[in-house]
Amino acid sequence: MTFDLWALGLQAANVLILVWLMQRVFWRPVAAAIATRQDTVNAITQTAKATQAKAEAALAEATQARDGIAAERVKALDAARSEAETAAKTILTEAQKKAETLLATAKTQIEKDTAAARKANAAEASDLSLVIAARLLDRLNGPAIQSAFLSQLVDAIAELPEAEQATLTDTPTGIEVVTAKDAGALRAEIEQAVQSAFKGKPKLRFVTDPDLIGGIELRGPHFSLRNSWQADLSTIRKALSDAG
Amino acid sequence: MMSPLNSVVLYQLGPIPITQAVVTTWGIMIVLVVGAFLLTRRLDLVPTRRQAALELVVVTLDSQITETSGARPGPYRSFIGTLFLFILVANWSSLIPGVEPPTAHLETDAALAALVFVSVIWFGIVGDGVGGYLKSFAAPNPVMIPLNILQSLTRVFSMFVRLFGNVMSGVFVIGIVASLAGLLVPIPLMALDLLTGLVQAYIFAVLALVFISSTIKDGQPEAPETPTKKEI
Repeated sequence: MTFDLWALGLQAANVLILVWLMQRVFWRPVAAAIATRQDTVNAITQTAKATQAKAEAALAEATQARDGIAAERVKALDAARSEAETAAKTILTEAQKKAETLLATAKTQIEKDTAAARKANAAEASDLSLVIAARLLDRLNGPAIQSAFLSQLVDAIAELPEAEQATLTDTPTGIEVVTAKDAGALRAEIEQAVQSAFKGKPKLRFVTDPDLIGGIELRGPHFSLRNSWQADLSTIRKALSDAG
Repeated sequence: MMSPLNSVVLYQLGPIPITQAVVTTWGIMIVLVVGAFLLTRRLDLVPTRRQAALELVVVTLDSQITETSGARPGPYRSFIGTLFLFILVANWSSLIPGVEPPTAHLETDAALAALVFVSVIWFGIVGDGVGGYLKSFAAPNPVMIPLNILQSLTRVFSMFVRLFGNVMSGVFVIGIVASLAGLLVPIPLMALDLLTGLVQAYIFAVLALVFISSTIKDGQPEAPETPTKKEI
């Protein structure tokens, strides 16, 4: 049995060199490859986590924005509804006011029209009644009535002031004695009674006017003494018209 | 058949005798380094099957170092891993006809044991400082200093003897059987020798790691005791 110290030293040196070489060509490169892959995986994981966090943040932001939009939409709808209600109220109020105004105007107009119609009806009725009365009176226009009208005329002349009577008596154009029909037999009687009433002899001219219906009137250039059914009916119509 | 206890000097390099074990070691070194170089030429981010297998070797070694020592594998990977690979390839080199494994010779195993002895000192000083390393001999108490010094020598010696005995005996038995019973009979023994070679390489590497890690742990300052409730 031998023990070679040179061999011991050489083998120790060989193994040390082998350790050094293997570290350079095997252990370090493979470990570096593993570390690189781990770093890459870690980096990818970190990137993925960051991307996920970013995506989650974006999602949260989008959700928040969506909620905001929804709230804004609700707010806008509320505002629009409120505005519409206000506008509707305003329009309704205005329409109500207008309707009330129209109604009041219509009522007033109806009242006016009713009053006018009533007045017209009254006028028409009075006219009709006067026409009826005139026709009836026309049938009553006999000598007795004429005598009555003559006596009333005489009374009226007597009531005139003397100065006026004198003026009328002196009128150069004379006084027209108007009757509805030709006086005929009453002419002389009328002439005598009028002259007696004037206490003079005015110039008389007989004129026929069927519109008088009945009665005897005196007319001058500036004078008129009405004494007929027409005058009475005119007075009545005026009175009715004033009353209506 | 030659005795494995004798070294065969192939040639003389000045005063230095170059033995067969040294030449075989050089051959193993070339195979390992060139093989490693060729295998690690194109390492990519997306690994091929070859790269995956290489990474599996490294990851397995790293996990073994971490589980055994609890330390980061980086500083020890190269030394422990190379020891394992060299001893494994050296043990299995006996399968090549005409090649005698270097680990079947005293000088190679003694050199490996000496390297482990030196590495324990080196890693102890690097890890804990000179004071820390020296303090590791006083663990668990100073009374143990002589025994610890003796232990640091004997455990390395036991490693050396264990490896030498196992490999040498395997080679010796196969040689005897082959000389007696022909070519095919030693095959089961050779298969057994493969297993023995693997186990011995593993044991040597793990023991080296345990010795290094225990030295570093013994040299570290004691952790403060857990404070009592009163102290809190």
